[in-house]
Amino acid sequence: MRIATNSYTDAMLQQYSALLSQQDTLQSEVSTGLAVQAPSDNPAAMQNALNYISQSAAQTQYSANITTLQTRANNIYSVLESLQSDVSNASQIATSAVSATTSSADLTTYADQINGLINQVVSAANTKDPSTGQYLFGGTASGTAPYTTTTNANGEVTSVTYNGNSSVNQTAIGPGQTISVDIPGANNGTTGAAGLITNSQTGADLLNHLISLRNDLESGDTAAISGTDSPNLQKDENNITYQVANNGVLQTQLTAAATSATSTSNSLNTMITNTAGANVINAMTQLSAAQTAYQAALESGSKIMSLSLLNYMPT
Amino acid sequence: MLGLFGTLNLASQSLQAQMTGIEVTGQNLANVNTPGYSRQVVQISASPDILTSIGPEGTGANATSIEQVVSNLLNSQIQSQSSTSGYWNAQQSALQSAQDALGEYLNGSSTSSTNSASSTGSTDTTGTGLSAQLDNFFSAFSALSASNSEANQQAVIGAAQTLAASFNNIDSQCGSLNSSLNSSLTTQVASANQLLTNIADLNQEIYTEQSDGGTANDLLDEREQDLENLSQLTNITTSNSSNGSVNVTIGGQTLVSGFSVNDTLQTYNPGNGQLQVRTATGGVDLTLTGGSIQGTIDARDGTLATLQNNINTLASTLITQVNGIQDSGYNSTGGTGNTFFTGSNASTISVNPKLVNNPALLQVSASPTTTGDTSLALQISQLSTAAQSALNNQTFDDSYDGTVAGLGSALSNANNEATNQTVVSTNLATQRSNVSGVNIDQEMTNMMTYQQAYEASAQLVTTVNTMLTDTMDMKTS
Repeated sequence: MRIATNSYTDAMLQQYSALLSQQDTLQSEVSTGLAVQAPSDNPAAMQNALNYISQSAAQTQYSANITTLQTRANNIYSVLESLQSDVSNASQIATSAVSATTSSADLTTYADQINGLINQVVSAANTKDPSTGQYLFGGTASGTAPYTTTTNANGEVTSVTYNGNSSVNQTAIGPGQTISVDIPGANNGTTGAAGLITNSQTGADLLNHLISLRNDLESGDTAAISGTDSPNLQKDENNITYQVANNGVLQTQLTAAATSATSTSNSLNTMITNTAGANVINAMTQLSAAQTAYQAALESGSKIMSLSLLNYMPT
Repeated sequence: MLGLFGTLNLASQSLQAQMTGIEVTGQNLANVNTPGYSRQVVQISASPDILTSIGPEGTGANATSIEQVVSNLLNSQIQSQSSTSGYWNAQQSALQSAQDALGEYLNGSSTSSTNSASSTGSTDTTGTGLSAQLDNFFSAFSALSASNSEANQQAVIGAAQTLAASFNNIDSQCGSLNSSLNSSLTTQVASANQLLTNIADLNQEIYTEQSDGGTANDLLDEREQDLENLSQLTNITTSNSSNGSVNVTIGGQTLVSGFSVNDTLQTYNPGNGQLQVRTATGGVDLTLTGGSIQGTIDARDGTLATLQNNINTLASTLITQVNGIQDSGYNSTGGTGNTFFTGSNASTISVNPKLVNNPALLQVSASPTTTGDTSLALQISQLSTAAQSALNNQTFDDSYDGTVAGLGSALSNANNEATNQTVVSTNLATQRSNVSGVNIDQEMTNMMTYQQAYEASAQLVTTVNTMLTDTMDMKTS
């Protein structure tokens, strides 16, 4: 077959170009680990990969949210521990106050101790979240201190006012899954999260019960202490105990959600790799083959190019 | 009988014929690298015999013509394929630019090695475009719902600004691409008009040269090249006239007829800023089916327009949905009245400057009295998984991912078609080259053949000259 001189030079150039392009693609696959980098490389794979990446990003955010909630739950737990101790101390004082050996001076001392506990509980109920600076137990009205107090001439707290509400913020920790670790200071309704200090569903009302106990101690009304104050404090102790237990349950749920988010994230990363990832060993092998072919094409081309009848004609 | 002088004349004619052969060989060698050049061959024929008493006697040879070696069938096929090739190359170029404008690529860094037990490298793969910005935006609101801190408020505004900037950038890039394609159309139409003029002029020159009894081989090559270049720009049909002219028809309109250009092409704005093509004088809208002009129009009005429309719908839906939630809420001091996004589409979307200056004004509380409420932030974050009726009941991510895949699919198709067309065109070009192209070895062989024939004829002249001298010497001696 007749071949024009430029036919094979054109063909060689195309072969060189194709082999260079092939090497470029393979080198890119090896260096990035991705067989799909642009939408046109594989539109369906690109669509799936973007979808998986979005899901993975959501999982990452769920994990971050969980970490935030775990930190807050730990902060709340610290307050609960403190309150548990305060209620326990108050109960012991109430028990001691009705003892037959208790003197009127003792009752005054106990009343002073209860005043101290009242201040501790108010302080605990007004604890702020260190990360946001917002009050932990104000419900969603967390911009103002949940509890304000009224005091008498002696500096004793005579009444407390709850400035918060009974709502709590929900946070996403998984697809379609939200949770709240927050506890409102008071819940006087019949639904919603149990209040920390006041919970009408269980009769807990810690601060008012402490004020009542203090007043009864000061007036020496031991009958009221044993008949009313001690049972009320038991309700408060039960309420705090419930909150501690519930905090534990929530932390367990958060741990499970964190494990799930990590697991899902790992699965998604695997799916991304399977969808868009390159088979690096294959790519390396093909790259080596392409390099060899390129070298061979260059060598054979240069040999062919240097040959013509001119080489054999007499000068 | 020819006699000595007749034989001398025969030798002279032969020398002339071989010299013509050498000249044609030289022409072929000189044009070995000239695109579109068709090799030429000299036709040498025996001169008419003369009758003698002992039978017909030859009178030598003459170079009767110099002819091109061409295949009209291949030329016709190449013209047709040029049009298809031009169409897909234009689509490929435009859509590649659109893909770059979108900027949605996967980034990855391979963590595997050849010694790895796993054949598949693990990568930390991330998106580079709007997809990642959407994810960041919704994640920022999710974080805000978990903790309404100043840092998270700032992060929401930052993510929203980046997202809005991405929308603006894509819209701007697509707009620039649209303008470039319109400019390209104008340039291509100007090129086509120039080629139409060239072809009409060449028709005239070829006719003139052939009327004078000459051959117009090089002009024919030039006209063929112009026809192929015109085919690259738009689909053409050609017809040959008896005077050697080629008539050119585009979109049903005969624009070149004989030696004159009846009409030219013209771009015009139908009112929407997207240039179309019509005949300049007749004002006839042209329906083109191939060539880079139509490829450019189809890419602009098809895939690129769909891309712009989808991105705009995505942006406007996002604005509507986010504002619908945020604007109904209250900020940390119970205040309201600050919309989140301003603008209405991808080109105008922006974050309200008041919020940029003071992120605490974000309205994510559902009540003016519950200023610690972040339920609206949660609602906005949950938009990421909510089907939107304005997006064909797809989520923001799904809609955008589909848009990316649609563009990728169109470009992938254009790449495949262009590659296939390149193979076809290359094969045809190779076939034509094998027929019409110059082979140096062949030309060198021809050159030696003509040279040797020339030497032989020259030797004949020498011999006849000697014989004439001998004859003259007979008289003088």
